Amino acid sequence: MDATTISLRRRSLLAGAGAVGIAALAPSAAKAQAATPLRFGLAMPLTGSQATYGQDQVRAAQWAVDEINKAGGINGKPLAAIVLDTQADAQTGIQAATRLASVEKVPAFVTAWSDVVKAVAPIANDSKVVELSVGANSAEIAKLGDYVYTTFPLADVDITAVARYAATTLQKKRAAVLYINNETGTVAAEIYRNVFTKAGGTVVAHESYDPKATDWTGTLLKVRIAQPDIIHIQGLVADTPQVIAQLRQLGMTQPVSSYSAAYNPKLIQQLGAAANGVIATSLAPGVNNSPAVAAYVERWKKEVGREPNGLPYTQYLYDAPYLVAAVFKSLDDKKIAITGENFRTEMLAIRTFELPLTGKLIFADDHTVSKPVYLMEVRNGAWVQAAVVG
Amino acid sequence: MEYFYTVVILMALYVILAASFNFVIGYGGLVSIAHPVFYAIGAYASALLARDMGVPVILAILAGGLIALLASVALALSSLRVSGDYLLIGSIGFQLGTLEVIKNLHWTGGAGGLSNIPSFLTQTLGPQAYVAFAVAVAMCTVLLLRWIAHGPYGRAMSAMRDDELAFAALGRNAMVMKITIFALGSGLAGLAGGIYAHYFRFIAPGQFDLLQSSALLTMVVVGGLRSTWGPIVGAIALEALPQAITFINLPPSVLGPLQGILFTSLVLIFMFVRPQGLIAASARWRGRQEEAR
Repeated sequence: MDATTISLRRRSLLAGAGAVGIAALAPSAAKAQAATPLRFGLAMPLTGSQATYGQDQVRAAQWAVDEINKAGGINGKPLAAIVLDTQADAQTGIQAATRLASVEKVPAFVTAWSDVVKAVAPIANDSKVVELSVGANSAEIAKLGDYVYTTFPLADVDITAVARYAATTLQKKRAAVLYINNETGTVAAEIYRNVFTKAGGTVVAHESYDPKATDWTGTLLKVRIAQPDIIHIQGLVADTPQVIAQLRQLGMTQPVSSYSAAYNPKLIQQLGAAANGVIATSLAPGVNNSPAVAAYVERWKKEVGREPNGLPYTQYLYDAPYLVAAVFKSLDDKKIAITGENFRTEMLAIRTFELPLTGKLIFADDHTVSKPVYLMEVRNGAWVQAAVVG
Repeated sequence: MEYFYTVVILMALYVILAASFNFVIGYGGLVSIAHPVFYAIGAYASALLARDMGVPVILAILAGGLIALLASVALALSSLRVSGDYLLIGSIGFQLGTLEVIKNLHWTGGAGGLSNIPSFLTQTLGPQAYVAFAVAVAMCTVLLLRWIAHGPYGRAMSAMRDDELAFAALGRNAMVMKITIFALGSGLAGLAGGIYAHYFRFIAPGQFDLLQSSALLTMVVVGGLRSTWGPIVGAIALEALPQAITFINLPPSVLGPLQGILFTSLVLIFMFVRPQGLIAASARWRGRQEEAR
């Protein structure tokens, strides 16, 4: 045996060992390839004044992601949410959205709070990344550009329903509108005034208050002097119960209506008996309308020890990953690259989504969605469904 | 890459704001915290001129700076006659009042903010061009303010700030000097506002509130009051730090409080350990009382 033969044998041996090694590594590489997660962004307030609601919404979305992955993911690939904090602040939101689009390179991201949704719209449009607004209700959201869509009905849907309900079903003739002076309040207050007036009523007081206000006595006294027979409050989740409490303290016993921000178990805890008669809207089915929602609320009670803050909003957030997963699956089935442009095209091609907690969602051409409005009323210390509109 | 550009543009804008704020409160000794409102006036004026009146963006940005300058003269004429605490109260009032006006006007977009602001450079030459533009303006601002502060006018400013009575006794008009300092600082903040508006294309009154004032004040104090490079270091550090923290991937329950604790600790540490800031002012600018210590 000469040196060449030995060398060759060594080479063959090494080559053989290498081949075995590669062959051994191949399945795990294939597995890793298969396990590459399909990612989307979640830009929500995790800190700051809105964190209580943002954190519950993120928890709901994360539960949905886990459920999807437990059920096998998307054609075997796991779904992953990249969660970033917006503090419900436009500037922080811009930085989060820019990072999602350019660093994380997600094809779509979910966000909420009207200021943030509007501020990050140019980033979504420029980067061709789909922005899904889930929970913000400013009417302007429908006009923010080709890549901005909402899964949540905008202000005109529930405010129209509650104003009409007051004028026609409750036969109220004189309404007072008390609204927070920001995007959420001003636009919706105007919608309420127009709808209530068209339905034959008169808006006898149309008063705004500062978002940082902690005392509403002056504004409420103006409302009391106007002698309305119903008071509509268009505030935020945090201030609405306080306004109602002060209103009752001032001896105003008129029925109070609000919108989805007031539909919150905390409102009853905070107001006690004063909460009775408060009417709010919900844009998602409640525990009595859907066994899935009942099971979802039970899960909250079991795992977190309470109901979620802003239940309907968390339902929409829970459903958002299902929508994203459906689009991802469709793209993956068709072997189309998952980019923002393709995500948008496929989402519009599918157009109708059947979602677990909020039901059917259809994307309209004008970037709006329509949903039934559940009118809820506090009776004997509990939220009860008073009517369903639409 | 766009993320990097966004962070650099924000740093450049904060450099302009911190340097001009330092010019007003540090070099000029004018205790005002209304700086963000001139930033807002510049942003709104520039955005509205370009969006609703079709003014070319570059001219709109310059006009934004000019309008902020004129607004500051209006405030200065009424409130610089008083000084110290009264000026501080006057400036807070002006800031809150102006923001309330913006919130309640229909044509400013109200509380919901102003969107659909025309972009500049990014669509034609790419975001890099805008980065270069913002950085160039920031550098020119710093050099201009340094040139003024270190020249004969700077010496006069120092004299006026240290002893207004002696300064007036020398036949100099302190009021005119105060208005000039205030107008220049505020005009530069307005210019930064215009640059912000045409890159981010959305502005809302909440972005220019008292929280923004405290952020700017922290940048200037931590960086070093009355020094050329201090506010720049402060602006860059305090803009980069929160961004860097988010990349650590800490849970949100830790991240939020951590950011708050970090900022508070920084201010406290600097107050006790290094009151002169990261970069100390040169001897001439330290003031008589500090010199005597």
